[in-house]
Amino acid sequence: MQRRLIQIAGVVWTIAYATAIVWIYATEPRSLKEVATNTQVAAGVYEINQAKFNNGLSLFRRDQFRAARDEWTGADPAQKDARTQFYIAYAFYREGWGRLYNDDVLLKQGLEAVNRAINLAPNGSLTVDDPDLQMHTAAELKVELEQGTERSWSDVNPLKVFRKRK
Amino acid sequence: MTHYADRNRQLLHFIVLPTMLLTVAMLGGLRVDAHSKQFLFIPPPLVTLVLAVLLLSLFVSAGAIELHRWLAIDQPLLTNVAHSLTLLTLFFASAQAFNSVLPESGLLHWLFSFFFLWTLWTNQFSAFDTRRLLRSLAVLFSTAFVLKHLLVSGLYGPEGGWLKRLASMLLQGVSIDVPAFAPATGYISFFALALYIGGLLLLSPVALPANGQPAIAGLPMLAADRKRGEDIRERLSDQKEKENLLS
Repeated sequence: MQRRLIQIAGVVWTIAYATAIVWIYATEPRSLKEVATNTQVAAGVYEINQAKFNNGLSLFRRDQFRAARDEWTGADPAQKDARTQFYIAYAFYREGWGRLYNDDVLLKQGLEAVNRAINLAPNGSLTVDDPDLQMHTAAELKVELEQGTERSWSDVNPLKVFRKRK
Repeated sequence: MTHYADRNRQLLHFIVLPTMLLTVAMLGGLRVDAHSKQFLFIPPPLVTLVLAVLLLSLFVSAGAIELHRWLAIDQPLLTNVAHSLTLLTLFFASAQAFNSVLPESGLLHWLFSFFFLWTLWTNQFSAFDTRRLLRSLAVLFSTAFVLKHLLVSGLYGPEGGWLKRLASMLLQGVSIDVPAFAPATGYISFFALALYIGGLLLLSPVALPANGQPAIAGLPMLAADRKRGEDIRERLSDQKEKENLLS
């Protein structure tokens, strides 16, 4: 009976440990801190750092986009919160937007962030009720970022300088 | 006493050994980047899987793994499942042990791979017993460890000295391409290899016979010892028969 019990414990333990190793190699954490974050995500107890998020929001409202992104990256290290990813994308959009020309690198990074936000949102639809923003859905933001990176004849339209940043 | 010995042997066989081998499987591919100090997980390259297959075949031919004891039709299903899992962990631990001492890319990766392949292939046709095989493997892995983590990383590390300059002068035009890792990588590799060799030492004695009793209670036996004992017993019984006939 004892032998059987030890064998069962051995089989269960071996499978669990092997699964954990496969998971570690699949998620490729870069530090022990990231291992802890990934474990929280896997266990379903992951939460963003609200204080850092609020700091980022106040910096964003003062047009300190790069600093705001740093705060939000710290608030959501696993990139698993749709709302935070939406704000990061918005910060990329606002910094990358230009009256004469856009910064393609920043807009592409914004596009990656908004895609993450859409993938994380339930049913792929995300709405953020923030009166300071002019675009409230991830879909709107994505279209704006895509248009910003595309090349077309409208780019040479001189009236373009009168358009407004959203 | 026998009860405790039996229980401890089972714990060693079904829990400690897989844990050691899986830890090797985890640490074998772990590197620490020299600049960012971040973890890098390198999955086992295809060549290490081939090397692991050759090594397992060597274990079987040398008697370190007695397959008919590990997997048998007259054993309970649970025992066979547990043994299969241990063999699987041994395979991945072997692959990762090779991964740990193989340079990650470039000419040195292929040179090391070739020497490992050559050594293991020629060993397939040599007469090995378990002890000699384990000694040979310990030497093989420690040599590769010294070459990779002491010599090559010293030569091509970010703060290499006159040896680095000499090597780059001699090997001008040859792409060596050695990624820079933090010294912690060497410590992790050392620990992984020590665990692996420790696991191999535990491997032989814990394969229990089908009835669940060890060959001699409390005394783990290596396959070679077992065979030697059987030979001696046979010779003694022959001698007794001769004496009986003469008398």
